[in-house]
Amino acid sequence: MIKREGESFTRLAEEFARIGRTLFQAGLNNSHSGNMSVRLGDRIIITRRGAMLGELTAEDLIDVGLDRDDSGIALASTEVKVHRAVYAATSHLAVVHTHPRTATALSMERKNLIPVDDEGRYYFKRIPILVVEASIGSDELVRDLPGMFKNYPLVMVRGHGSFAVGGNLEEGLQLTHACEWSCDILARCLALGMVEEDLIGERTHGKW
Amino acid sequence: MIESWKMLEVDLSSGTVEKENLPFESVRDFIGGRGLGAAMLSPFAQACARPLDGEVPMIFAAGPLTGTGIPSGDRFSLSTISPLTGTIMDTNSGGRLGKALRQAGCDLLIIKGRSHVPVILIMKGGEVRLEKASELWGRGVTETILRLREKWGKTSGMSVIGPAGENGVLYASIMTERMRAMGRGGAGAVMGSKNLKAIVVEGTGKIPVSDRKRLEVVLEESNRWLKAHPVTSKALPALGTPLMVRICTRAGIFPLRNFQAVAVGKDQAYTGEELARRFTVKRSGCTGCSIQCGRVTEYGGTSGEGPEYESLWALGPDLGIEDLGLIIHSAHRCNELGMDTISAGGTIACSMELSQRGFRSSSLRFGEAGTVAKILDDIAYRRGEGEELAMGSRLLAGTGGAAQYAMQVKGMELPGYDPRGAQGQGLAYATSNRGGCHLRGGYLIAREVLGIPKKVSGRQVLGKGGHVARAQDFGAVADSLSVCRFATFALAPEYWSRMVSAVTGWEIGGEDLIRAGERITTLERILNIGMGIGPEEDRLPPRFTSEPLQEGACAGEVVHMDDLLAEYYAHRNWPGGIPSELKRKELGLDKKRGRILHEAG
Repeated sequence: MIKREGESFTRLAEEFARIGRTLFQAGLNNSHSGNMSVRLGDRIIITRRGAMLGELTAEDLIDVGLDRDDSGIALASTEVKVHRAVYAATSHLAVVHTHPRTATALSMERKNLIPVDDEGRYYFKRIPILVVEASIGSDELVRDLPGMFKNYPLVMVRGHGSFAVGGNLEEGLQLTHACEWSCDILARCLALGMVEEDLIGERTHGKW
Repeated sequence: MIESWKMLEVDLSSGTVEKENLPFESVRDFIGGRGLGAAMLSPFAQACARPLDGEVPMIFAAGPLTGTGIPSGDRFSLSTISPLTGTIMDTNSGGRLGKALRQAGCDLLIIKGRSHVPVILIMKGGEVRLEKASELWGRGVTETILRLREKWGKTSGMSVIGPAGENGVLYASIMTERMRAMGRGGAGAVMGSKNLKAIVVEGTGKIPVSDRKRLEVVLEESNRWLKAHPVTSKALPALGTPLMVRICTRAGIFPLRNFQAVAVGKDQAYTGEELARRFTVKRSGCTGCSIQCGRVTEYGGTSGEGPEYESLWALGPDLGIEDLGLIIHSAHRCNELGMDTISAGGTIACSMELSQRGFRSSSLRFGEAGTVAKILDDIAYRRGEGEELAMGSRLLAGTGGAAQYAMQVKGMELPGYDPRGAQGQGLAYATSNRGGCHLRGGYLIAREVLGIPKKVSGRQVLGKGGHVARAQDFGAVADSLSVCRFATFALAPEYWSRMVSAVTGWEIGGEDLIRAGERITTLERILNIGMGIGPEEDRLPPRFTSEPLQEGACAGEVVHMDDLLAEYYAHRNWPGGIPSELKRKELGLDKKRGRILHEAG
C-alpha cells in the first residue's frame, strides 16, 4: 500500500486536484466524466469511480495493485483495467482520460486526425482513432488500446473520448488540451469553407 | 534493410585480426553501442575477469544511426569493465572516430589481449595493422594528436590516452581527437594496460541507409524541434553546460567543499555567463552536431576545451576554489594528462576533507589552488601523494571512520548536484550501473530542475522510482543508438524510433525502443550482481541521508533512500534489488543474449 501520510502524498493529491480542476474548467470533461491515474512502483493511484475531477480531494484517490486486485478495486474508476493494461504494455507513468467535445465529434466521421496547426503538428503529427464496439471499460479496449501508445502519445476512441499518456499527469493534461485545441481549429477551418487536403498540403506528418 | 553488422576482432597479444558478420536481427535486440557492448562483455563479466590484466576486451561499437546524418548522432561507444568500480562500464564520445569506423567497414571493434610493446592500431584502406608507439609513449594528449595528424592527416578519427592511462590511474580517460573525452570509469587505464597508445581510423566508404526519403521526412521534423527548443537552440550554444551553475545554485543543489554545504546568495564568480564573458574564445562541438555545446577557452597563454559544468564544479567550488582562470587551467591539464575531471576533483576534495578532519596528513587544503595544479600531474605520473590519489576516493578513504567522507557510489565520484534537493537524482546515483554517475543513473536533473519534459518537484519522493527507471532506460537507448543525450531533450522516443526504422528498415515503435533500453539496463544489473556488486551497494554516502542541508532552497532536506529504493525495485520487478525470473523472461534476456554470443562465436 502507498503511504498516505506525509508531505509526499499531500503533494501528489494536490497534483491530482490541480490537473482535475484544469481539465474540468477547460471543458475537457463534464461534471462527472473522465478519470486519471499514476503508476507508483507496482501500484496505481487512480481516481474514484464517479468522482468529480473538478473537485478532487485525497479521499478520491484510490490505491490499487498494478496487476493484482485488492479491496481498492471496489472503489476505483470503471476504466481501471484499461489503465492497468496501458502500464503493463508501456513505460508510461500517467494516464489521463477525458471527453473532449470537438475531438470526439470529429472522431465519428474520420479514420484519423491530422492537426493542421503548428502546435498540434509538434505534439502529434497524427492522432489515431480506435474503433471498438463497446468502449467504456471494455475488454476490447483493454486489448486494442495499449499497443497504440507504442508510437503515439494520445489516442482517440471513436465516439467516446481521449486517452493520453506521459511521465506525469501534467503531460497528459497538456496533450489532451493540445489535441482538443487542434481539433477545434480544424473544425473552425472547415466551417469557414477551407479544404482539409489543402490545409495539410505538402506537410509530411500524415505519413508519421 | 540492413542485414548484418560488421565485427572486427583484434588480438594485441598475437597481432591477429578476425572479421565476422553478425546478423542485424540479433544485434538489434541490444540496439548497438552500449547495449551491444554489454551483451558482448557478458562472458568476461561472468568470469569475473580483472580489468587491467589484459584479458578483458575493449569493445568499441557504433550505433545504427552513427554517421547517417541524424542530429547529434556521430558518436560511438566503448564498453569494458571499470578498474575504478569493478562494474561493467560504457563511455561514449563524439569526434570523428565513430563515423570513420563505420566508413571503414567496421560497426563493432573488439580489442583483446595485451601488446608486449606500446603500439598504435591503424585502420586504413581496408587494412588493419599495429605500429610501434615508442615515439609517442609518455607524451601528452595534444602532442600525441598533433604527431598522429602529421602522419595520418587531419580527417582521420583518433582516440588516444595520455600519461594517466599509461600509468594506470584508475580514472584515466581516453581522448578522441584533442577535445572530446571518454571520461568516466577508467577506460584509459584499460587501454594503457594493453599497451595501446592510440587508435587511428581512416574511412571513406558509404554508410547504408535503408530508406533515404523516409529519413529526410523524419529529419525535417526532428531538426525543426531541435532548433526550436530553448535548451538545444539557445542555452547550450550560448553558454555550454556551465549554464547550470546559476540554475543549480538557485535550485539549492550546487555543492561546495566535498558536499559540506551548498552555494547560496549572490552570483558566484564562476558562472557560465562569466566563463563566456572572460575566457571563451569560440564555440566548439562534435562533428555532425547542430548544438555545438563545447567551447574553447584561453587562460595563461594556452587554449583548450571546456570546462564543462561538471569539470568546473569538481576542480573549482568542490575544492573551495573560485578563481575561474585556475579552474580552466586544471580542466585543460586533466585533458592533457588524459584524466577524468570529476573523479580527479572528487578524490582531491575527499583528501582535503580527510585532512580537515584529521584523518590524513596532506598538503591539500580547501581553497588553496596552488597545490591543485601540482597534484594533478602527481596523480597522472603516480608520484608522492599522487600515488594514493590515483586510486580514487573510495580506496583513499579506506574502510574505517573516514570512509563516509568519500563522496562516491560503487567507487565512482559523484558529480555536482546535491541529491538532498533532487531526490530522483539521489536514487539515480545509487542505482547507476557504472557507479555514481549523473548520466547512467538517469539525468533526473532534467525533470527536477530544467523541467524536461515536465517539471517534477526535486523534493518529491513518491513517483520517483518510475521516473528514474524510465530515464535510465531511455538513456540506455540513446547510448546504444550512440546519440547525444542533449538531443533527447528535444526529441521524444517516437522520433528516434522513426529514425531507426528509416535507417535500418526495422519497424520499431518508441515504446519498443524503451523496452530494449530496459533489457540493456537489466542485463548490466545482472552482470554487476554476478561480479559481486549487488543491491547492498545501491547506497549514497551517509552525509546525504543523515545530515540535512543547512541553507538554501532545499534547507532541511535529506535523501529518503529507503522509500525511493522500495518504489524503484517494485517498479522494475527487481525484488530486493535482484531482477526476477519473470522479468528476465519478459525481456527475453537470456535467449537474446545467448543468440548474439552464439553468432559472434
